[in-house]
Amino acid sequence: MKFFLGNVFSLFNAPLGRRGFVGARAASLGLLPTLMTLAIFPPQVRADDLPALWAERVKSVVAVEYYVETEIERRPSVAYGTVIDDKGTIILPSVAVNPRATPAQLKDFKVYRPGNPVSVAGEYLGQDALTGWHFVRAAESIRSELVPITKFAAKTPVEPALAEEIWGIGLRNKDEDFLPYLLSSRIALKQRLPQQMAIAQQEVAGPGLPAFNRAGEFIGLAASSFGQNYLQFSRDDRGGAPVILVNVEESGALLVADEVLPYLGRIPQNIFGRPLAWLGAYGLEPVDPDVAKFLKLDGQSAVVVSEVLEGSPAEAGGLKDRDILLAIDGKPLPRFRPDRAVVEYVGREIQKRRPGDAITFAVLRGEARVNAKITLGDQPKLLNEAERKYFDRIGFTAREFVYDDAVARRAKTGDAAGVIAHFVKPNSPAATAGLRIDDWIKEIDGSEVKTFAAAATQLATIDSDRARSETVLLVSRGAETAVLRVKL
Amino acid sequence: MSRGFNKLLDAVVRIDVREFEFEAGARHFASSIGSGVILSDDGLVLTNAHVASPRAVEISVTLASLERVRATLVGWDHWTDLALLRLDLADIQRRGLKFTHAEFGDSAKLSVGETVFAVGTPYGLTRTATRGIISNNDRYFEDARGVNGYETGTFNTWLQTDAAINPGNSGGPLVTEDGRVVGINARAYAGADNLGFAIPANIAKRVVDSLVRNGTLVRSYIGLVPRELQDLESFYALSLNTGLLINNVDRDSPAARAGIRAGDVLLAINGVKVDGRFPEQLPPIQNLIASQPVGTVLKLTMKRGAETRDYTVVTEKLESRIGEEWEFEKWGLSVRKVSRTFARENQLPDSAGVLVIGVQPGFPAGVTGISNGDIISKVNQQPVESLDVIKRVYASYDAKPEPVLVEVLRNRQISLYVLKP
Repeated sequence: MKFFLGNVFSLFNAPLGRRGFVGARAASLGLLPTLMTLAIFPPQVRADDLPALWAERVKSVVAVEYYVETEIERRPSVAYGTVIDDKGTIILPSVAVNPRATPAQLKDFKVYRPGNPVSVAGEYLGQDALTGWHFVRAAESIRSELVPITKFAAKTPVEPALAEEIWGIGLRNKDEDFLPYLLSSRIALKQRLPQQMAIAQQEVAGPGLPAFNRAGEFIGLAASSFGQNYLQFSRDDRGGAPVILVNVEESGALLVADEVLPYLGRIPQNIFGRPLAWLGAYGLEPVDPDVAKFLKLDGQSAVVVSEVLEGSPAEAGGLKDRDILLAIDGKPLPRFRPDRAVVEYVGREIQKRRPGDAITFAVLRGEARVNAKITLGDQPKLLNEAERKYFDRIGFTAREFVYDDAVARRAKTGDAAGVIAHFVKPNSPAATAGLRIDDWIKEIDGSEVKTFAAAATQLATIDSDRARSETVLLVSRGAETAVLRVKL
Repeated sequence: MSRGFNKLLDAVVRIDVREFEFEAGARHFASSIGSGVILSDDGLVLTNAHVASPRAVEISVTLASLERVRATLVGWDHWTDLALLRLDLADIQRRGLKFTHAEFGDSAKLSVGETVFAVGTPYGLTRTATRGIISNNDRYFEDARGVNGYETGTFNTWLQTDAAINPGNSGGPLVTEDGRVVGINARAYAGADNLGFAIPANIAKRVVDSLVRNGTLVRSYIGLVPRELQDLESFYALSLNTGLLINNVDRDSPAARAGIRAGDVLLAINGVKVDGRFPEQLPPIQNLIASQPVGTVLKLTMKRGAETRDYTVVTEKLESRIGEEWEFEKWGLSVRKVSRTFARENQLPDSAGVLVIGVQPGFPAGVTGISNGDIISKVNQQPVESLDVIKRVYASYDAKPEPVLVEVLRNRQISLYVLKP
């Protein structure tokens, strides 16, 4: 039994119009006719051509090493990437970077060619909201040795057929100089989630690395890997205990080439991936076929909007809580299996647009059918754009309160004052006093926090005043508040 | 032992309770054993609220003579973990049974080190007496889910004893050598060596009076959550033993509406100074507010920064987090009404809806994907403002099964489900 973990299913929870962290994101490919696929089925290639194909294609993959520098530690991380142009641009899958890390915390990018211990510097360009890809650019010195994946794209789009044999590239770890190795398998299943995915019987490539058909044509990019269920038998547990093993180095799930190639131009204009289109409808939930039938929406896919956020374009455009979305710009929402994929489909429709673009939803509201025409806005400041400052003696990082904080805490955005405890250093005075990550600090020493700048100044004064023996914070957590006495 | 002690032994009873549970989406029965003490000639028996609650369907009391008698619940008060039963006197007279009743002592006069006895039915061992001392006579012990999920310990402190208290002792008396009831044994630290807790008799007397008269004990609520001031006096520029720190003000509560905020210090209630320096001083102050009749106007003197001013609040009726429970057997679904307190704690927009507390696998609710913790906000497009709304829809389903559309709130996400026959 195989099933997806992480970046295929969990993404569908990403609230609409807000930034999701996405590995596999799809365009609506439409139903590519099978006959057509067969018509352009590659001519048989002799098996002994594979070494030659391999030698060329291995130049389009790299390993990328970088450090995440937090308040108290510096941790190396490695991801695999695929070269997309002759400027040394590399895409990494969304899971390559922990979403809690901010761009400013990502340091010292290095690019390694397979089997080569010598690295060159890389520059982090940011993340694209639609594809979820992180973009990195390798230093000029090795660009001539890299071959973009586009060079291996078929002239007309190819999609692997069920049972077709495919192969791809895996990379060993850093201590083995990221030596490349061959993986191969056959396509077992094709599914729209909502992007077209081709799922192989076994792992065919490292996550973020390409796979090819026997003709050497690029057929897809490996998404993050499967979790596989096993029963683990032991002397103590003869019945077997279920375990899930995730192969983080290889994957058998491919985002097909047509879900990759059209999007390679989405190189972020800035490190935060702006401009970002914003709708402001929160908590989209799919409508299952039984409910659709009950609501007389036979054969129709639909999505419930749980909340329309205060001050959002959705609110301005007249969308209401509990509206059921039926179509976008006249095009009915397609049906997916599982139903959940439709939520991601709607999210992608937003991210394909730009702030200022219009989008019209056909909506079921109670018994009535109405249209809501909405002009998409610009995303309010995101969590990872928020200002932050670490106070080492008190032992926590204060972060600016942004729109998403108000949403998460059900606060009116107008009352949004205070700062958030973004990080609390273990065993620090703040931690000992009971401060926790994500606590909302509303008062410092009895005076109300109005702006981040004022709080930062006040905290810096306290932090550096060796004569101070305590500071008192009023924090809000969930529905309650607490007075915390921080003994310095 | 004293004559009084021997008489007391004859007033201690074993209590067997059969109660229903809603947790699995169907009505299940559970049996448990506790202890109790007879308080009067007319057959009033005091025990713990976690022994006998309104969920009890059958209560049987074993007298000292080992004869069994039925009893009914007069009332309960989970805040103090006390419940009052009445023996079936007609049956007792018919059968010619005899019993004696115990006398309360003055729990305020207890001193630490004084010898006390716990009498009860630990692990079903009827009429077991254990001996110890009063280890502490003013223990603070608040538990938001301590009585089968209900709040307890907010308005009273506890007697702590090292007289062995084990499961089954619950509801039995803690007595002095002369057989006077000074406490009702309620809880102990599991796994610790003889750290047991009892409700003081002086608290119990007031609760019993109210339960006898009204079947319940109504308390006042203003929405303040206090915290001891210990070590913070200098920060708030207060002299020692002055004031009570407000840690939290409940949303939409009388105190919140009056403008009181967390971080304020309460100095006096109706001009009477309060001292909340230590944790065990909090329950009496809370009780001072709670024991006012609902609708009382209170003048609270508060200090914020350098400023001191009076606020006027009108008390409301105190409510538990736990609302009324019900099960819909054909749907395989048990629910609990969302209370104001639950809504506030979970930041719900209002107290509409019912919380799902049990789903039976294979029944319509479970099959469609409803799970524990969901809040059902609408059925067949009608807002679930009371349990009656959903009961009516169920009644028509029961008579003639037709698909029912259910709107569910789960972590702020709205999902729709259809209950199919």
